[in-house]
Amino acid sequence: MGSVVPAPWNLTGTVIGNKAVSSGLLRLDLELPQPVPFAPGQFAMLNLTGSGKLVFRRPLSILATDGPVMSFLYRVVGRGTALMADLANGEALDCLAPLGLPFPEPGPDTPPALLLAGGVGLPPLHAWLVEHGRPGDLACFGGRDGGDVPWSLLPDPWQVSVDHLRDIPDGRQAYHGLVTGLADRVLDDGPRLVLACGPTPLLRAAARLARDQGWPCHVSLEEHMGCGYGVCKGCVVPVLDTVREEGWRNATSCTEGPVFDAAQLDWERFGGAL
Amino acid sequence: MSSMSRSLPSWWTTDPCESVVIGPRTLPGRVWTASGCFAYGLSGHDIRSEEFDSPYEGIGAVVTKTVTPQSRPGNPMPRLVELTCGAINSIGLENVGFEAFLAEVLPSLEQSQVPTVVSLAASRPEEFGPMTARLQEVAREFKHWHGVELNLSCPNVAEGGHDFGSDPSTVAQCVAAARPNLPDRALLAKLTPNIAKVAPLAAAAAEAGCDAIAAINTVVGLDVDLTTGKPALPRRFGGYSGPGIQPIALAKVDEIVREVGVPVVGIGGIATAEDALKFFALGCVAVQVGTAQMEDPLAAAKVARDLGRSGDH
Repeated sequence: MGSVVPAPWNLTGTVIGNKAVSSGLLRLDLELPQPVPFAPGQFAMLNLTGSGKLVFRRPLSILATDGPVMSFLYRVVGRGTALMADLANGEALDCLAPLGLPFPEPGPDTPPALLLAGGVGLPPLHAWLVEHGRPGDLACFGGRDGGDVPWSLLPDPWQVSVDHLRDIPDGRQAYHGLVTGLADRVLDDGPRLVLACGPTPLLRAAARLARDQGWPCHVSLEEHMGCGYGVCKGCVVPVLDTVREEGWRNATSCTEGPVFDAAQLDWERFGGAL
Repeated sequence: MSSMSRSLPSWWTTDPCESVVIGPRTLPGRVWTASGCFAYGLSGHDIRSEEFDSPYEGIGAVVTKTVTPQSRPGNPMPRLVELTCGAINSIGLENVGFEAFLAEVLPSLEQSQVPTVVSLAASRPEEFGPMTARLQEVAREFKHWHGVELNLSCPNVAEGGHDFGSDPSTVAQCVAAARPNLPDRALLAKLTPNIAKVAPLAAAAAEAGCDAIAAINTVVGLDVDLTTGKPALPRRFGGYSGPGIQPIALAKVDEIVREVGVPVVGIGGIATAEDALKFFALGCVAVQVGTAQMEDPLAAAKVARDLGRSGDH
């Protein structure tokens, strides 16, 4: 992974696609004035323009880029994403991107990856598999049920798990249980690089699994954000810091993350010990 | 030029990017970024855009995130609540601490030639004496460090916050402790709006020797999370900022300008040139862009550009 993160662009794009890819997930395609390269795991801060502008932008992980088009996956969870879901093609959206630190790139000695994605946690890992995927990687996506799964984005080799075993399309299979359950089959096959993005319980499960196996693990956090570019300190997470007397400090997740080495997070201060 | 500048009112004849004198100091412009809303500048990061070479373009000063004698981890999460017309924050003055700021942050701002006003807070008035003395000692030769803004009004800390800044004699003590150490820098006192009359505080600060009043800081506010039925922030109260506080800010600024006559740097819900013009119309010598800067790293640069008359024929 390069240590120098390119500066983000502050641009206004045009919506050219905004539609459901499953019962709960929408895909947004935004045409920017120019191509904006990104690394898997980076995100954008988006806002409506004009009188619809929200007080804060909304952070969305980048799913893919194709020339000047940047694509995202989101779920309607509040006022901002509800307004976003109403955007029609041709409407404008402010975009500050790319932001944050990405997932690590695999090196020659990196073990095969175990990707664990839940819901809107799919984009960074989808992008990582497209960019860095190697034979032997295991990519797992967890959804609520078959209707919630964006099947079109999950061709082989993606494995799918669901909380409720229903609405599975013909020709596809899903494991009934937690997404980490899909990992059980590779536990004895040697070390893995675990990369996870999704709801906090999933991240905790991924970090616990990696810790128990002694595997490296990086998780992408979904903290609420104010600015997304490091100035407001509204998205901090506790990380271990042995240099300090206290043994920990607050890290700004938008600029020091959103991807963190799971072993560096102070889980005890972040919702309880693993 | 943007359409905004073409509709500038005829009474506005000032170039916001021309220098402004505040006490013993000349600053390079009248549009600043507010403390806590632009960190310590971008600290080596940058923002690229089609419109501006740099997010600092046209900016008179970056008022730093408030620095306290010791580093502070800040308040627990969640720290921000977004509302329709603003946001309530409870960051809790998270900062690297004064010595780390002097060693690492201020030299980097100087090297990047970012015009800087250092925001300081303390839990006792007399602490501002040694802090400003040390600042002057370390940064005496710095060309881009223009002044100090005493944060006497943060609502999110247990001590040294707005309660501390609600008493005129305490405000005077803070200013008096700092003033002798800053012979060639602007000294501002940032006052609380969470008080019936702000003029006595401003008068006390002016008499004690400050060069300008920065007004206002955030308004104490609370939001309720309806899913839990409890306050949305762990500390219950936070500081409300954004467009919703602008009328309150204008009223406080007007009170200070008319009753005290001290120069005022206006703050409160400024996101556009029109917003800034309301503060200038009341007599402010400069303005600060706060919450809007969090939404758009170019917000202050855009306000400065749109206030300019160049190309306005």
